[in-house]
Amino acid sequence: MIEHAPVLLVVVPIVAASLPIVASIVTDRAGWPIAVLGLAVHTGLAGWLLVHVHTEGVVSTVLAGFEAPYGIELYVDGLSAVVVALVGVTSFGLLAYARKAQPRSNAFYAQYLLLVAGLTGMTVTGDVFNLYVFLEITGLAAYGLVATGRKGSSAVAALKYLLLGTIGASLYLLGVGYLLAATGTLNMEDLAEKIPEMAGYDSTLIVTAFGLIVGGLAVKVALFPVHTWQPDAYSRSPDTVSALISALVSTVSAYALARLLLSVFTVEFLTEVQLAQWGLLAVASISIVAGSALAVSQSDVQRMLAYSSVSQFGLVVAGFAIATPLAVVGATVHLIGHAIMKGGLFAATGIVRRKTGATTVSEYAGLGSRVPLGAGGFAVLAVAMVGVPPAVGFVGKWYIVIGAVEAEIWPVVAVVLASTLLTLAYFARLIERLYFAEGEPIETATESEQPLADGSGEVSFGMKAVVVAAAVLTVALAAAVPIYEPTLTETLPQLL
Amino acid sequence: MIDLLLTRYNYYATMLLLGIGLYMLVESENLVKKVIGMNIFQTGIFLFFISLAYVDGASAPIVDKGSEVGQHVSPLPHVLILTAIVVGVALTAVALALVIRIYAEYGTLNETTIKELDHD
Amino acid sequence: MTDIRPLLAILVSAVAIPLILALRSRPNLREGVTLVVALAKFAIVASLVPGVLEGEEYVFSFGEFAAGIEFAFRADALGVLFASLASLLWIVTSLYSIGYMRGLDEHAQTRYFASFAASLATVMGVAFASNLLTLFVFYELLTVATYPLVTHDETDEARAAGRKYLAYTFGGGIAVLGGTALVFWLTGGLAGGTTSFAHGGIDGLATADPLWARAAFVLLAGGFGVKAGLMPVHSWLPDAMVAPTPVSGLLHAVAVVKSGVFGVARVVLDVYGTDGVAEIGMGLPLAAIAAFTLVAASIIALRQDNLKRRLAFSTVSQLSYIVLGLALLEGNALIGGLLHIPAHAFMKLTLFFCAGAIHVETHTDDISDMAGIGRRMPLTMAAFAVAAAGMAGIPLVAGFVSKWYLVIGALEGEYLLFAAALLVSGVLNIAYFWPIVYQAFFESPEGHDEKPLVSGPLGGRFASGDDSPARTDGGVEEGDDTDEEIPDPNHVDHLGKFHEDHEHHGGPPEGGWDERGWRGGESTWFMLGPIMATATGSLLLGIVPSTAVFLQIVTRVVENLPGVVL
Repeated sequence: MIEHAPVLLVVVPIVAASLPIVASIVTDRAGWPIAVLGLAVHTGLAGWLLVHVHTEGVVSTVLAGFEAPYGIELYVDGLSAVVVALVGVTSFGLLAYARKAQPRSNAFYAQYLLLVAGLTGMTVTGDVFNLYVFLEITGLAAYGLVATGRKGSSAVAALKYLLLGTIGASLYLLGVGYLLAATGTLNMEDLAEKIPEMAGYDSTLIVTAFGLIVGGLAVKVALFPVHTWQPDAYSRSPDTVSALISALVSTVSAYALARLLLSVFTVEFLTEVQLAQWGLLAVASISIVAGSALAVSQSDVQRMLAYSSVSQFGLVVAGFAIATPLAVVGATVHLIGHAIMKGGLFAATGIVRRKTGATTVSEYAGLGSRVPLGAGGFAVLAVAMVGVPPAVGFVGKWYIVIGAVEAEIWPVVAVVLASTLLTLAYFARLIERLYFAEGEPIETATESEQPLADGSGEVSFGMKAVVVAAAVLTVALAAAVPIYEPTLTETLPQLL
Repeated sequence: MIDLLLTRYNYYATMLLLGIGLYMLVESENLVKKVIGMNIFQTGIFLFFISLAYVDGASAPIVDKGSEVGQHVSPLPHVLILTAIVVGVALTAVALALVIRIYAEYGTLNETTIKELDHD
Repeated sequence: MTDIRPLLAILVSAVAIPLILALRSRPNLREGVTLVVALAKFAIVASLVPGVLEGEEYVFSFGEFAAGIEFAFRADALGVLFASLASLLWIVTSLYSIGYMRGLDEHAQTRYFASFAASLATVMGVAFASNLLTLFVFYELLTVATYPLVTHDETDEARAAGRKYLAYTFGGGIAVLGGTALVFWLTGGLAGGTTSFAHGGIDGLATADPLWARAAFVLLAGGFGVKAGLMPVHSWLPDAMVAPTPVSGLLHAVAVVKSGVFGVARVVLDVYGTDGVAEIGMGLPLAAIAAFTLVAASIIALRQDNLKRRLAFSTVSQLSYIVLGLALLEGNALIGGLLHIPAHAFMKLTLFFCAGAIHVETHTDDISDMAGIGRRMPLTMAAFAVAAAGMAGIPLVAGFVSKWYLVIGALEGEYLLFAAALLVSGVLNIAYFWPIVYQAFFESPEGHDEKPLVSGPLGGRFASGDDSPARTDGGVEEGDDTDEEIPDPNHVDHLGKFHEDHEHHGGPPEGGWDERGWRGGESTWFMLGPIMATATGSLLLGIVPSTAVFLQIVTRVVENLPGVVL
């Protein structure tokens, strides 16, 4: 029974995505209820899958009866299961936010569901080309969602995202081509065996493939210096979309990077080709520092959060690149935790903007009393992101630090520890501004966004609930980590 | 070494197309030309893939009724590229739709002008 | 044995936070909650004392937190020492806060009291943590909880001080985290690594590579040293004096800084053990830094005109007494150092309370304005005198007992230089406290002496009294009588920073101070009561140190350490 779950997880959102378009013959408001229904089923399936993987191990399905490695295989282990659960819960939860926030057309929800389908597909697949296809589906849905903003600048941001994202995906495809040329197979498990047999880890072909794949996915994860699409895309899309994309799209792309690193190229590759490991660590470390440095200089809050993502994903990739069991657990925990924290932060900025029109750091002054829930949620999530224990942001970092110490990679230890201070640098001034400074009335309030006819300017209960839930989860998840740890280490056998 | 340089035409073609595509994407100011550049970039990759499938002296990968299974060109990359072409078409469609909207909002397709307008 | 009381001690004020926030509009009820919770917390901790004196340890664990390390509490003698001190003094400080905040009609009082409750909850967590990681969790939370108190004023200075505070303390936290990771790795990492405190040191560390063990020690001691005010990472403390005085008193003389010292104590006694520290040769460097801080901070304190800033540097100096005692690794020195934790707390809190009362009643912050203030505030200045005497090590007050043990310990270990540093510091203490007391009671606003140490520029002035600049040939410059603008150090603001045209808003009113008598007419009993209480506490600790429980607990702590001879 459980073998059907991965397939259903992908099919249900796709089918559900077509329904709002069909329903638009009758009504233009069918999108939200259909999305709720579809994603409720999706989340339920994802939860069931996670529990199953936790108790009984890996779930593997082949499509249409074509056996692997000739057919496409879906393979769900501890890492995939938790990411799928994240995708399900976050996309479902954000629907509560989206009900009142813009936009609300059928087409929007169709794209929303397509995005979920693409993300889920990326997560459950066990075939590298299938990953490319879902990567592009995710991308297309994301470009469309970014463009749903009212202003022209949303379209420009979406186009920039599209052009850069396509380059990234195409580089990934090229890397897959190289792998195909080397081994003749596209199945991840099979590749892991065939790469050392048929080409050897240190052959130019394989190393080039690695470089292309990492480079391509780095664009999608938005590591420095190929992150340039992210600040525009995050700050110019509607608030729901920012929250959704920031929480999920880069996250699943980072998951894809990890999956290829650990299950296709495997830890042996990293030990044999030291250059690969050091190169990846260098890119990650530079991302950590550069992202924070750029974030500090931003005045727009959402752009600051985008650069913060650059930094945090550097942390995640560093954890995966160290490739010891603890480091991988840490990277996964931080991946999930960051998704929730970043999504919650964007949701909070949305609430603040709707109530007061504030978008820049200086406009945030003194809002602690005017928007208590939004500011409070923002403060809690920001403090968690800095790495103050016992929130989940700290737990991930701690595991990565221990992993790096064990592997004796001291520069990375120093950078990861320093990242706390760097993150503090840009979040502290915002929190200080919120609570310990006086605010002035904001002039842009009248120009910003839409007339009140469609309800904008109001903050619904759903929006507040999302922020509160995110803040609560950041602390609660930290307690769940020890339970999750064995799921991960046992189902990723290459690590042991 | 020399025969490496002389015989791998497909690599040259690919590199050329990738280079042209990337250059157009980065350098052109006109948004439509950027989209064209993106297409050329992708086409380069597609051609590379397909050229990988080529086996010297093999026939097309179609099994005739009654014939034996002889040497065929590998059909797998062809199939993959068909998928990828479709993806490329979808991307181009979305990109052009965005371009139309940008034109409607800004009245120009010049990247620099749009940037200036945005910063106002 | 497993006991929920350590956890309860933390929770009781954590639970109070939402209550206090909800009672925003009923200030009397809100303050009542704070007092009830403080009393409850002290009661819980006090109930642990008898068992701990017998050698019991109370444990409570939440299970695994990360990578095999538990999130667990253990109330042993050292933890109970710190916890009982902090919770007892919170009661007194809460009463004082009521008087202070209402006397100044301060804003954001709800945030203030809620943050206080949060801070004390985290202090309990620091005290009762059973391993380095749990300690780190509460250490960082302490920073977060105390930040709103530092930035309370919401002025530019307050915000700048808050930023500095965050930068320094989070930086220290990073070092602690690095050190903890190293300790975990050195003791076996995933295969049996531990960061749990063990009396006499963690076993795995004794056999570890000395280079890494030293690196971990430096990181841990340095990281905790930020909050413990070791030089050169002490400079957040004088700037943090911009906070309201009860905050400066309880937090920055008792809770936050003592948590740093407590961390150092844990590292020296329960992570490495005295033998372990001696083996890696880190005892002497730490003692040297402490001794340097001792003396240097006292010298800097001489030049401070702002009373709170002078007290801040005095705190920096006195904290190093504790670190010095710990670093000497000697039985008596350990007792002296650990006893100084409560001793200094009582005395310094008294001094800060006095400073705050003076601020509320007369808006005076600078020592040069305080001539003759003994007429206006006799009880306050009397308490000040008592506490100051204790700081200098005068017998019958608390500071004497701890200093006695410290000096004996230093002499026993044949560390003559450190004994000398302690004695010099005692003299310097007199030098910077005695003038305050003297001028308060025996001088008047019109006829007080100039204080050359404070008002003179660095490098001295001509003894002739006029400000003509020096010439190498010994003559006096002619014609040009407009001397250069020698900045007058009297015009410093309450952060001790120089301002050209700063106006004094403090100081005696026209006609000198009015006499208030010794019956408490000088201020409200909300403030006077706590001042009298802490002064009396200082006296008690000095006269009957054994009966005042703290010496017993300290002795128990040192007895628990294997390998230390008393």
